[in-house]
Amino acid sequence: MAFAWKAAGITYNRYLAVAARVVRRSLKDDKRLQAERRGEMDLRFAKWEGGKQGENKSLADANQADMAAHAGQSQ
Amino acid sequence: MNSLKVARMALRAAARPQPALRRGYADVAPDKLRLSLALPHQTIYKSQDVVQVNIAAESGEMGILAQHVPSIEQLKPGLVEVIEEAGGNKQFFLSGGFATVQPGSVLSINAVEGYPLEDFSAENVRNQISEAQKIAGGSGSEQDKAEANIELEVLESLQAALK
Repeated sequence: MAFAWKAAGITYNRYLAVAARVVRRSLKDDKRLQAERRGEMDLRFAKWEGGKQGENKSLADANQADMAAHAGQSQ
Repeated sequence: MNSLKVARMALRAAARPQPALRRGYADVAPDKLRLSLALPHQTIYKSQDVVQVNIAAESGEMGILAQHVPSIEQLKPGLVEVIEEAGGNKQFFLSGGFATVQPGSVLSINAVEGYPLEDFSAENVRNQISEAQKIAGGSGSEQDKAEANIELEVLESLQAALK
């Protein structure tokens, strides 16, 4: 099954996140405020090599850069 | 000493805890489906006996009854309808996930977000559709356009469900 988002380089994980974000934003305002908090992610990571910590990067940015780089390569 | 060893083994076997998944004497009634519908932050159904569940799978709309053949289905963003024993009908819009039918009429549905239809606002849906259409037809990056298309797919399904 070929998915349009897969061909554009979006991972399944990101697809789920985008769909969930849209559903949260479509709620009635009282439920929406609570739900939007679930969508926030501010995760940072750093690669360790030879015992030394590398630079601290944001996971969201790193994922986006990876997806843009791989767009069109899958399939 | 042999009898002591046998007795010890018997005691150990009896004391070994049953894994939660193995059903003992209380089996699912042969004409009921045991449904677990879970989101990461909330459990909507927890091993509850229901009559039928209609799901929107990527391979097509499906109705799952008891004794369904085991299968794993990827879900489209869409409506899941649960027909309960007491005759009630509940509908939830799920943002996407998987439905797994296991042997013995056990159905597990996992989704990221899911709400009953009353919780949605048609106006918010409309606004998002026009925004997403702008991005999808615009001149942004391929990523942004692909994400806007995903949003449109979900929103159109939601709009159709809300009618």
